[in-house]
Amino acid sequence: MMKVLAIALNTFKEAVRNKVLYFLLIFALLIMGFSGVISDLSIAAPEKLIKDLGLAAIDFFGFLIAVFVGVYLVYTELDKKTIYTIVSKPIDRYQFILGKFFGLLITIYVNMLIMSIFFFAVLYFRDATDFDKVMKAIYREVAPGQFEPIGNPQVQYYLYHLKQFIIAVGKGIATVFGYSEPITHHLMRVIGMSALGLAIITSFAILYSTFSTPTLSAVFTFLTWIIGSLCEDILRYAERLAQKAGGVQNLVGPDLLKYWFAQVAMHIVPNLALFDKRTEAVYGPWEVATPNIHNVPIDWVSVVYGLVYVAGVLCLASMIFNRRNFK
Amino acid sequence: MKIIETKKLSKVYTHDFIDVEHGRIKFNFFRRTVALDGLDLEVGEGEIFGLLGPNGAGKSTTIKILMGIIFPTSGTARIMERPLGDKEVKAKIGFLPENPAFYDYLKGEEFLDYYGQLYGMPRSVRRKRIDELFELVGLPDHAPNLPLKGYSKGMIQRIGLAQALLNDPKLVVLDEPQSGLDPLGRKEIRDIILRLKDQGKTVFFSSHILSDAELICDRVAIVNRGRLVAMGELSHLLSPKIKEYELVASGLSRESLDVLEKHARKFIERERDVLMILEKEELVKEALRRIVAENASLVSLTPRRETLEEYFIREVARTNAPREEVRA
Repeated sequence: MMKVLAIALNTFKEAVRNKVLYFLLIFALLIMGFSGVISDLSIAAPEKLIKDLGLAAIDFFGFLIAVFVGVYLVYTELDKKTIYTIVSKPIDRYQFILGKFFGLLITIYVNMLIMSIFFFAVLYFRDATDFDKVMKAIYREVAPGQFEPIGNPQVQYYLYHLKQFIIAVGKGIATVFGYSEPITHHLMRVIGMSALGLAIITSFAILYSTFSTPTLSAVFTFLTWIIGSLCEDILRYAERLAQKAGGVQNLVGPDLLKYWFAQVAMHIVPNLALFDKRTEAVYGPWEVATPNIHNVPIDWVSVVYGLVYVAGVLCLASMIFNRRNFK
Repeated sequence: MKIIETKKLSKVYTHDFIDVEHGRIKFNFFRRTVALDGLDLEVGEGEIFGLLGPNGAGKSTTIKILMGIIFPTSGTARIMERPLGDKEVKAKIGFLPENPAFYDYLKGEEFLDYYGQLYGMPRSVRRKRIDELFELVGLPDHAPNLPLKGYSKGMIQRIGLAQALLNDPKLVVLDEPQSGLDPLGRKEIRDIILRLKDQGKTVFFSSHILSDAELICDRVAIVNRGRLVAMGELSHLLSPKIKEYELVASGLSRESLDVLEKHARKFIERERDVLMILEKEELVKEALRRIVAENASLVSLTPRRETLEEYFIREVARTNAPREEVRA
């Protein structure tokens, strides 16, 4: 265990030196900040836009880190031949794979944590700087319908924003550690599920990089992600095809091929849609009129499915890596 | 106990079907390269064993197989009488690959600490050992806190040696430990290898710097084209017979010089003295007689035996008789 941890920490140290990571992080933060600004344009519920964009950014940029940083990690060790001195040490090759996986996962999760804090801060700040709230803070109602400013309104306006900014960052940090307000209720669960989905993608990035080049691994990982995210839709499409033809037995030619492709894909590729709880959290179930807060119950079946999937892919990666000759 | 033993060890590389070389697509259907062809080696405990051979002879392949980096196509190898890959055995081995590269973002100390963790060494042991090693391999005082990015080639080689000695190994395997080092650095590596032997460790190393190998090896194996050419103690391999004599004298008469020049294999007249290489003992005696008779002075007389280099070149040339690249 100590050896796996040592490799994981070294992988993390290596990954945080990758400049791509910072570009991705900065870009993600920009998008979230921007979502706070354009949320004013939203007619009904500004926080929905922030939530939707923010949660999507956390998930998508986590995925990009897995691809762009992940596919190089194993390759660099082979390319620079540092693997020579690693495999000659008293460790098993699967420990190396596990170390790489956890190192990459730590990198992704640390980034997700930073993005989440920022996301919550934007959310809290936007909420606290709502026009009504700002006005209430800098004007006092002396008589019904009569208001007078508290001190210099301009100074008060900026002071209020500064104060709210600091509070929002503080609350943002608290939120990732379990604090929640109605506006951020259950969002950590959504991010948690996202993190589990990313663990699957990470394990695939590691799997592919045990036997192919970084470019190919990136392509494979990307395709896995796309098919995985869409596989419920693909299956639905296949069922529709069968329905239209009046049963599977009536399908012929390309339609039959499509049907079986969907069936096979569904059972091989991870169903990443299970880990996407964003719509549920932001907009609620389809059939219910939308209040602002939605309950997102923890989906234990998906959690177990995710963990089993990760373990399976890592086993496969170890098996391939075990047989490799390092030229 | 035999520390290393290989039996009919072979490695055949199968090329990729399609290769892109200089922008051209090259098809290599079923093309194979034999890197190692039935190698039998035996290394005893406490020996300094040199694996010698020209480039591409299979030295690195042998070492990579022993270190579990690649797998043999056929044949067996055992280290400390256990099969390859045994973790208990690996814990007793130190390995320095050829032209090593390490994590250039780590500081010297962090790097050794990381590798120490891979050996499963507790923190206190690692601390102590790392300090000792920086001194042993002769790295400067600022090395522990300098990122490996800032290390010179010689320093990288030294820290590579340090990581190979972290676990106080019983067997030290070094692949071309002296490549890229200046004469001083090479001597220091030689001294470290000799010191390891004094501590009772076995050192197995590959090299093509034969003069160095000759100075320190107890036994050598010469490989060429993946095959064992010769193996044994240096004194057995090299003929003990004196091959020729190198004589330097000054003040000899013209007549004597003319006589000696006729019989010498090499004869060089220099400003102050004359150097001649004589093959027969009688000629040497004749030269000495003349030196005494003419009251000339003898500067030096050196008998020369066959060197490892000469033996090596002879043996390699003998086995270099053309052999077709294997195509199945």
